[in-house]
Amino acid sequence: MLELFTYDFMQRSLLAAAMVGGLCSVIGVFVVLRGLAFVGAGTAHAAFAGVALGYLMGWPPLLLAIIFGLATVWITGWVEEKGRMKLDVSIGILYTTTMALAILFIGLMKTYNAEVYGYLFGSVLSVTSEELRTIGGLSILVLGLILLFSKELYFIAFDQEMAEASGVPARKIFFLLLTLVALTVVVSLKTVGAILVFAMILIPASTAYQLTHSLRTLTMYSILIGISTSVSGVLISAVWDIPSGPAIVLLATSIFFLAILFSPKREGRFAQAA
Amino acid sequence: MSESANPIIQFDHATFGFPGVVALQDISLSIGMGEFVGVIGPNGSGKTTLCRAVLGLMAPLTGHLRIFDCACGELRCHHRAQIGYLPQKGVVDRNFPVTVLETVMMGRYGTLGLFKRTTKRDQAIALDALAHVGMDAHRDTALGHLSGGQQQRVFIARALAQQPKVLLLDEPTTGLDITTQHNVIELVAQLHKELGLTVLLITHDINMIRSHVDRLVLLKTRLFAAGPPAEVLKPDILRQVYGKDVVITEKDLVIVEDYHHHH
Repeated sequence: MLELFTYDFMQRSLLAAAMVGGLCSVIGVFVVLRGLAFVGAGTAHAAFAGVALGYLMGWPPLLLAIIFGLATVWITGWVEEKGRMKLDVSIGILYTTTMALAILFIGLMKTYNAEVYGYLFGSVLSVTSEELRTIGGLSILVLGLILLFSKELYFIAFDQEMAEASGVPARKIFFLLLTLVALTVVVSLKTVGAILVFAMILIPASTAYQLTHSLRTLTMYSILIGISTSVSGVLISAVWDIPSGPAIVLLATSIFFLAILFSPKREGRFAQAA
Repeated sequence: MSESANPIIQFDHATFGFPGVVALQDISLSIGMGEFVGVIGPNGSGKTTLCRAVLGLMAPLTGHLRIFDCACGELRCHHRAQIGYLPQKGVVDRNFPVTVLETVMMGRYGTLGLFKRTTKRDQAIALDALAHVGMDAHRDTALGHLSGGQQQRVFIARALAQQPKVLLLDEPTTGLDITTQHNVIELVAQLHKELGLTVLLITHDINMIRSHVDRLVLLKTRLFAAGPPAEVLKPDILRQVYGKDVVITEKDLVIVEDYHHHH
């Protein structure tokens, strides 16, 4: 098994998995606490529609994924702010619309394009050096912004109205959070795919939620779980020759259920935490 | 209508609401530095609107509202940080994974501003605020493990950690048992004295606050009365606002009988 580490492709995939796992688990803390789970799932599918359009028109797929992802989260945030509609309804509509667009774009393609499906199901084992650089660059950007605005992000995740009332520019920070969610989804698209990326964001933070009462500890646990399950998932996928995305997600899910079983929190909390 | 020597909050014929819906009409009121003002009125009388207005979250449709000598629409984040606010209970997820000290530290965030890290000094201020509400022994306890009254104390400490000029409390005793209600009000009165804070306390419970406040403000969309409790709590004034549900007993207690049926 050790010889696996000598292959270039393996080194690249492990590095990509570690970066994506770390990034998703950090942003996941705010997504879980602020209750944005469905927003993220919708964003992933919107970003995939961007990728499909990119391949159809011969434009850069990642750039279009970013545009589609950002448009989706900003529209969602705007609708919630205006109080026009419940967040889950508006994101549900955008989710299905962008998925319809994705299917339409794929249908319009003259030939079968395996690369597009790579973005849907993820293919961490085929990550190129160039993609690795993109993932690295975007990860540093997102993590840097989270670090810079961490105290405000924590506060709006706890209570956005209270944050606003006590002098935090809560609206702007909320849109920053939505933007970071969209960027994280795009960064992770190639590695784990549009379908599974949200599991990578939700599961580590939800698992950590079972284990602590402190925000700081929650974040540390989430990162630890995110990176370790991503890296182990890639190894399992290489050793047993199974797809990497499901390997990572199913491993993370198992740990989530173990955490629920052995959670030190009292029983009444399980339903809410999940 | 009501003047104060050193006003910190000034309503001048201010009307609030949304197009077609008036929540507060033609309010003229000025609140002085260091005053303890109780705001009372029945459900839907505009108490919470008044609260949002003072926080600068709602600008008047007509008229003016000045806070810290600044038009409320132009209230910046650093102004807001000078108002320590205790929202109505039930807004926050009580299972949120956060400790008592982490909660109180959040009170420092708006005051510090963007890009600034919290320091030892901020922690000292937060711990001092916790000591003021008698919760310093619980600094590392999970917020969700505390009783309702203890949580209110922690939220008051968070407001104090802002080192505010004004303490704004929106029905701080709702959902607490009677002893805890008294304790919370006693605490607020004590903080008003010790720290010289201007306190604006919104409540249903006239009896609970009447002996502590300098002035009472009686709202029902309009401002019906404002003045010392003895001047405001008169049968004819109260009946105009609360209808026939008001009973004034020999001990001068005001009982709004119908109130509990609304809940």
